[in-house]
Amino acid sequence: MSQSAAVLQKIDAPQVNDWTNLGSIKLSIRNLNFYYGTTKALKNINLPLLTNKVTAFIGPSGCGKSTLLRILNRMYDLYPGQRAEGEVLLDGQSILDPKLDINLLRARVGMVFQKPTPFPMTIYDNIAFGIKLYEKIPKSELDGRIETALRSAALWDEVKNKLNASGLSLSGGQQQRLCIARTVAIRPEVILFDEPCSALDPISTAKIEELIDELKSRYTIAIVTHNMQQAARCSDRTAFMYLGDLIEFDETSKIFMSPSQKQTQDYITGRFG
Amino acid sequence: MSDMAIDTPRAAAEPAFDRAKALSAFKLGDATFYWLTRASAILVLLMLGGIIISLIIGAWPAMRAFGFEFLWTQRWAPSAHPTPVLGALGPIYGTILTSFIAMLIAVPVGLGIAIFLTELCPPFLKQPIAIAVELLAGIPSIIYGMWGFFVLGPFLADTFEPAIVSAFENVPILNTLFAGPASNLSLFNASLVLSIMILPFITAISRDVFATVPPVLKEAAYGIGCTTWEVVKNVVLPYTRVGVIGGVMLALGRALGETMAVTFIIGNSFRISSSLFAPGTTISAAIASEFAESDGVHQSALILLGLLLFVLTFCVLTAARLMLRRLEKRAGA
Amino acid sequence: MNNAIYASRKRGDKIVKALCYAAAIFGVGWLCLILYTLLANGLAGLSLRIFTEMTPPPGAHDGGLLNAIVGSLIMTVIGVGIGTPIGLFAGTWLAEYGRHSQLTNVIRFVNDILLSAPSIIIGLFIYGAIVVPMGGFSGFAGAIALAVIVIPVVVRTTEDMLLLVPLPLREAASALGLPRAYVITRIAYKAARSGLITGILLATARVAGETAPLLFTALSNQFWSLNLGGTMANLPVTINNFVNNPDPNWKQLAWTGALLITVSVLTLNIVARVLGAERKPK
Repeated sequence: MSQSAAVLQKIDAPQVNDWTNLGSIKLSIRNLNFYYGTTKALKNINLPLLTNKVTAFIGPSGCGKSTLLRILNRMYDLYPGQRAEGEVLLDGQSILDPKLDINLLRARVGMVFQKPTPFPMTIYDNIAFGIKLYEKIPKSELDGRIETALRSAALWDEVKNKLNASGLSLSGGQQQRLCIARTVAIRPEVILFDEPCSALDPISTAKIEELIDELKSRYTIAIVTHNMQQAARCSDRTAFMYLGDLIEFDETSKIFMSPSQKQTQDYITGRFG
Repeated sequence: MSDMAIDTPRAAAEPAFDRAKALSAFKLGDATFYWLTRASAILVLLMLGGIIISLIIGAWPAMRAFGFEFLWTQRWAPSAHPTPVLGALGPIYGTILTSFIAMLIAVPVGLGIAIFLTELCPPFLKQPIAIAVELLAGIPSIIYGMWGFFVLGPFLADTFEPAIVSAFENVPILNTLFAGPASNLSLFNASLVLSIMILPFITAISRDVFATVPPVLKEAAYGIGCTTWEVVKNVVLPYTRVGVIGGVMLALGRALGETMAVTFIIGNSFRISSSLFAPGTTISAAIASEFAESDGVHQSALILLGLLLFVLTFCVLTAARLMLRRLEKRAGA
Repeated sequence: MNNAIYASRKRGDKIVKALCYAAAIFGVGWLCLILYTLLANGLAGLSLRIFTEMTPPPGAHDGGLLNAIVGSLIMTVIGVGIGTPIGLFAGTWLAEYGRHSQLTNVIRFVNDILLSAPSIIIGLFIYGAIVVPMGGFSGFAGAIALAVIVIPVVVRTTEDMLLLVPLPLREAASALGLPRAYVITRIAYKAARSGLITGILLATARVAGETAPLLFTALSNQFWSLNLGGTMANLPVTINNFVNNPDPNWKQLAWTGALLITVSVLTLNIVARVLGAERKPK
């Protein structure tokens, strides 16, 4: 593998820094390496996330796609022994800077997790919680904000009559949309989705995908998924990763119709992974 | 790289500024909380250090006065002239003997109850008995001591002990071990109360430990036609051996240090007698009954006794915890 | 199949089963007997004056346990009040900040030792650390001794309960930009709440009946006293003193006091278990 990776990098090398024609860049990742202790989990990743576009990350388990996502809001900081090297710029500002206020970063880069993670409180408080953290606003305005957030997560109609019920009383799909509403409520600029539908049934999955499509008009979105149809359906650009390497990154249609790398082709046609 | 930021929406920059202000207000709380928790965690360490140091300081005069002879001197005469003569042999003997007898009774019975609960008990009784056992493990030991003093002691002295004494009258060894006169206060009575007190404890721990056996293992054994006892003997006990021993040691640690269940009923005699039916004392009983009225080197000797007890239980508990931890690791893996 | 072997296996199984049944009856029987005598003797002396009158001098025919009950309550409340936050914080550090620290293993081990250290040793420790420097027995020293017993219990349950809170919940809270302390206090504590309360109740139950560490810290006395700086009456030591005396009135009061302690300890235990049964941090 390492041999072919070296070859790949040579092939990719010319286009690595040539992102000027892609459009406006929200997040740029350059020469990023990541280590779990001494294990190298990401190898020299170069990639832009485009403003108001959905970027999907696909690849077999353990390829580093979730790891990459968790660098973008410095979630890895919670665990000792994990370390990122290289450059990640959010609007031109380095987010790997140790002096950076991580909490501020996380307010700008929201995250939705694999399993729904409603807080053990009411639906209303689940959302109000994040807002009240950063802003002191009167109740009426808060109510409005919560309604907006729930509406933008397509959950308002289902919960408007039971805002005081526990967040845990909702179904899995509703819980996941609650988590999206919670993330949206604090007005992030980027939203990271880490396999958001892997614990959901097909109908809930369809709702979330629809939602992602709506959200991209306001946010820059990155989504990790093991479901290739999902990536094909709801992303603009797709990155294929394998064993810590970024193998190919291009327009989603191109990746799925005519990938330039053999490994990508093997993966999307189901020959491995 | 700044040319990349052209498209930053202006609206986004403004709330970010507010957020920074809001977050900086949390900073102090965040740091304070961290240091509070850390200091509390360190305090747990300091507590152990404090216990050891304060015991050593308190015991120092006695260590100087008696040296190692303290360990094998039987005489305990705080008011002897010209200097008090104090030795720990009696209490050490009593502590070890009562714990030993208590374990001898409580371990098989406790394990039996645990096996009964996990393998034999009809389902409708399982929960009530398990809960009863756990609740009883929480009853303060002074209750057991009181009951031993008022109820068990008289019964043993009036009925049980005379019968045993006459039964073994002509059997060598046993007739010195079980020699009269029967008394309300004796090492044997104390051991029995102690065993009743640690019984729920052993049962509760063994039951927890037995519950770590994966059902498939047991099912596999039942599947080839093993009887209940064979499953217990060949699957449950070997699988949980480390944990059961750990639990038993934990109970032993408790029995060694138990004070109130023993103090009323042991008779507080520092003389070592060959008969189990004679009064004796334990380290904790000696401290409990004499400490408040002691002073000088007498008090220091009592603290030295406490230090010995602490060292003893520390070793037993360390072994117990290490064993239980090993089981936990295996169950977790 | 060899029938003889089968029969002997069957027989062995029957014998052991019978022994287990016997053990269960034996064990449960003793314990029932204890509860029965406690109930019978304790109830005999239960009356209103137990709660309204002070402990009597020897030879009297009346008197109650009021000062002892109040003293016990005061010391328990203070002991738990001091021990709980310390235990809670320490347990939090172990489960949250110190998860990957070597120090955590050491502290956890030391805590386990403290958890099962003989309580009379705690009494000796407080005697040396507080009673001697302060110049005398005091309710304050008794309360601190109880706090020292409370701490390891709370540390243990806090750590266990927080470790049950799923990691993604913490990550989700962190992903909102929440500082660590707020993730813990607002989210993790909330998710583990019933478990934490269970731990505190169990700790309270544990100290409510502790006698040995009070014997030479708070001592006890026979009168009404709310002064934490002096000796303080309390139920366990009062029972201890009354049992050791032939006075029949005292004996009766000791039984009633023992019943009161047992009932309160059992109540705390039951409440804790009911709460604990519904703990399922999500």
